[in-house]
Amino acid sequence: MSAASEPPAAAPDFDLVSLGPSGQRDARAPRATGSEAPHLNPSVAALRERFPGAVLGNRVAAGDEDVVYVDSSRIVEVLRWLREDPDQHYDHLADVTAVDYGGGRPIEVVYQLWSIPRRAALRLKCELSLDALEIDSATAIWEGANWLEREVYDMYGVEFRSHPDMRRILMPDGYAEGHPLRKDFPLRGRFSRAEQTRRSLTRNPEDHYAPGEIGGREPQLVSPRDEDADGDPER
Amino acid sequence: MGLENNPLSTSEPSPFLTTKLDFVVNWARRNSLWPMPFGTACCAIEMMASAASNYDLARFGMERMSFSPRQADVLICAGRVPYKLAPVLRRIWDQMMQPKWCVSMGACASSGGVFDAYSMVQGIDTIVPVDVYIPGCPPRPEALIYGLMMVQEKIRGESLANHQDLRAEDPLAAGRPHADDEEVADLSGPFGNSTHQNRMSGLVETAAVARPGDRLP
Repeated sequence: MSAASEPPAAAPDFDLVSLGPSGQRDARAPRATGSEAPHLNPSVAALRERFPGAVLGNRVAAGDEDVVYVDSSRIVEVLRWLREDPDQHYDHLADVTAVDYGGGRPIEVVYQLWSIPRRAALRLKCELSLDALEIDSATAIWEGANWLEREVYDMYGVEFRSHPDMRRILMPDGYAEGHPLRKDFPLRGRFSRAEQTRRSLTRNPEDHYAPGEIGGREPQLVSPRDEDADGDPER
Repeated sequence: MGLENNPLSTSEPSPFLTTKLDFVVNWARRNSLWPMPFGTACCAIEMMASAASNYDLARFGMERMSFSPRQADVLICAGRVPYKLAPVLRRIWDQMMQPKWCVSMGACASSGGVFDAYSMVQGIDTIVPVDVYIPGCPPRPEALIYGLMMVQEKIRGESLANHQDLRAEDPLAAGRPHADDEEVADLSGPFGNSTHQNRMSGLVETAAVARPGDRLP
C-alpha cells in the first residue's frame, strides 16, 4: 500500500487540551440516575432497591468499574449494609480518597470496596460542596479507615465527623498553607521558600507526636533496685 | 614528615620522627571519617552499596557507619528532604561534634531535584552547611566514594591556625536556617513548566496549560 493512499494523519486536537480537566469531565460516561442505568455489578441494583433515596446515580467507569454516587449524609449506613449484608459482603475497604475537579465543583470522596470472598469491587462516591466539607467517618465500620481519612483531611480539607484522631498525617502538624491536593493550591505552596524554611525549622517534632509515632519508645523507668528484687544473682 | 637521621649517631636509623602538627591531625581526621548516614530515598541504596563489599567504603577510613550523630564526623544526606524532615536534619547536624563535614548526595539533596513542589526543601544547604555536593540521580557508589575523597582532600588543606574560622559554631544559630532569605528566594524563581503554578504569576486558577510542542510526536 503506498503512502499516498493512506488518509492524512488527523491534526492533534489542541482545543481539547486547553479545556483541561473540565473538557475531560464532560467527555466521560454520563452518570445515570434512573433504575435502568447500565451496570455490571449486581450490588448496584441491590443498593438501589435497598436505599432508593440515598443512591443518587451510577455509571460504569474505565470499562468495568461500577461507580455509585451516594448521598453523603447516609454514607455510613450504606457502607455498613454493604459490609454486613451476606449477599454483598464487601469486607475490605481498599481505599478512601478524594478528587477535586477544580473550578468550584464539589469534591468527591471515594470509597473503594473489595469483597474478598466474592472477588468483587465496588466504588462509592460522595459529592461534597466546597462550603460544607464534612462527612461521617467510616472508622466505626473499618478501623483501617482511620489513616485513610486523615490523609483525605490533610490533602483536601474534608473533615470526618466522629473520627477518633482527626489531624494531619502527611503534612506536619501546624502546616498553615492549606490542603495541598486542592486544585487552587499553588504547586510550590502559598508561602515563600524562605518562610517555608523558617517555619519548618521552628517546628519541634516532639510537640505534636507521641514517642511511638516518631520511632522512640514510651519512656520507661527501671531502677537498679527493681532489677535486684527479682533475685538474679548476677545483678 | 620524614625520618630524620639521628644527629647523635650517623650509623643507626632514628628511633623517632618529626613532623608538622597540622599534618598529623589532618592525617588522623581524614583517615577515620565516620559517616552519619541520613538516607531518605534511593540515594541511600547506593550509599549502602558503597559500604558493601564490592565498593568497600571502609578502605577509606569509613569503617563504621555511625548511627549516632555524636560519634560521627561526616553527615551524608542521601535523598530528598521534605520540610517535615528539615528540623530533624538540622538537629542531627547540631548534635554532631566538631570537627564535622557534610556531604549532599544526589540531585534532590543538593537542589531539590525534580521535586520543585510545596513539600520539598530546595537544597539542604538552606538547612545545614554543605562541604561537597555529589551530582547524580542517584550517584553511583564510585561517585559517593569520590565525593568522600574530596572531603578528605579538603581536610588535607585545613590548618589548626584557622581552626576558629573553620570550626567555630554559634550556639544561637542552632536550629536556624543556614541560608538567609534572599538566598532561599533565589532558589524559587520561575522554572520550567510550572510558570502557571507559582506565586509570582499570581495564580488563582490552575487549568491545564496547552503547549502544542508537548503534544507533537
